[in-house]
Amino acid sequence: MHVALDPRTKLYMILVVSMVVLMTATTPFLWGVRIFMTLVPITLLFIEKKYASAIRFLIFYGVALVLTFFFLSEESSGIFTAILIGYCGIVVQFMPSMITAWYCVRTTKIDEFMSAMQKLHIPNGIAISLAVVMRFFPTIKEEYGSIRDAMKMRGITFGSGNVLKMVEYRMIPLLFSCVNIGDELSAAAITRGLDGNVKRTSIVDLKLHAADILLMLVFTAVLGVFVYYKYFR
Amino acid sequence: MNSNKLKAKDFITVGIFTAILIVVEFLCGMLGYIHPYIVASYVIMIPLVGAIPMMLFYTKVEKFGMLSLMSVLIAIIMFVLGMGYLGAPLIVCAGVVADLIAKSGKYKSFKKTIISYGVFCLWICANYFPVIVTADSYRKDLLDGGYSAEYCDDLFRAINEKTIAVLLILCFVFGCIGAVIGKKVVKKHFEKAGIV
Repeated sequence: MHVALDPRTKLYMILVVSMVVLMTATTPFLWGVRIFMTLVPITLLFIEKKYASAIRFLIFYGVALVLTFFFLSEESSGIFTAILIGYCGIVVQFMPSMITAWYCVRTTKIDEFMSAMQKLHIPNGIAISLAVVMRFFPTIKEEYGSIRDAMKMRGITFGSGNVLKMVEYRMIPLLFSCVNIGDELSAAAITRGLDGNVKRTSIVDLKLHAADILLMLVFTAVLGVFVYYKYFR
Repeated sequence: MNSNKLKAKDFITVGIFTAILIVVEFLCGMLGYIHPYIVASYVIMIPLVGAIPMMLFYTKVEKFGMLSLMSVLIAIIMFVLGMGYLGAPLIVCAGVVADLIAKSGKYKSFKKTIISYGVFCLWICANYFPVIVTADSYRKDLLDGGYSAEYCDDLFRAINEKTIAVLLILCFVFGCIGAVIGKKVVKKHFEKAGIV
């Protein structure tokens, strides 16, 4: 089965998930809603054949949920549990929005994103910058990986224990490559006429399909149910 | 074309440095879950570490709007990552004010840059906003969300209406210190290499 979701649907998903993430679940029912909401992007990742990341997210989230429910409570203390709580806190609290954001970044092509932004009448500046930010996280990770490899090859592991050096050794090369990539990107953007004054057309024609509408409805329902049961019950 | 208008190249620069800043923020943020006092010390860590990319960014800023745009992007990303919308106006305010200050120095004056970066760093405090404004419900939420009572007590001892002023000042001061250090680093590495 192939589902190509409209970027606007994905943006809507992000919006809803972020709002729900702000409100902590207090009852088992709300937890259920929350877990359901998290499972949707994971399922979508499976459908898009991103098995590795989908399984990874599933395991992370599952483990954190189990730990939170069965092993941690208000009375837990100690340094190890503190770290454990920290881990579970991040994962349970923010993982849903991270998974959704990850799903959107990995499955949206930049031109699709731009054309969706244009349809939503988002100012060009914000659209371009957001697109660059979106594209850039994987790049930073990649560049950082190569820097670490290079450091390992030369036997520099921790910057000889100096925190300042540690930061410097990693930050400076990273900035160098980022600046270079930025120059290349702007050259590419100018060749594509991003600076032009005319309205840009897009090769992809965005349409809302049945799946999009269904998902939007589901997520609206999730938000509605969550707000209703949290604040009006 | 009007040279004061932002062009695609500027947007791309903004995007790149925003991404780097978010990564810095995120890495420091991870530490905060170990102990709440570290959450409070973001005001020291992030301005110092973030200063290096930001100073490089400042050398590339020549037009009004780039810093403001960056703050808008940060506000959006903070919202997406679940930090809430309460801080968003504060983030944008800090960005615009920082932009105005830097503009008054024509983006070249180093003194203005220092102050501007100090103001810009106040966006970090925006992340504390939900903790202060909605203190009671936030605390309850944290407890229900599986945090220990110890963590909550420490968190609210470190961050409340009284300490926020101190935190804001610290944030500004360390922003300025960070700017000086960052400038040195940029000078040492990038000006020599001819990138700036």
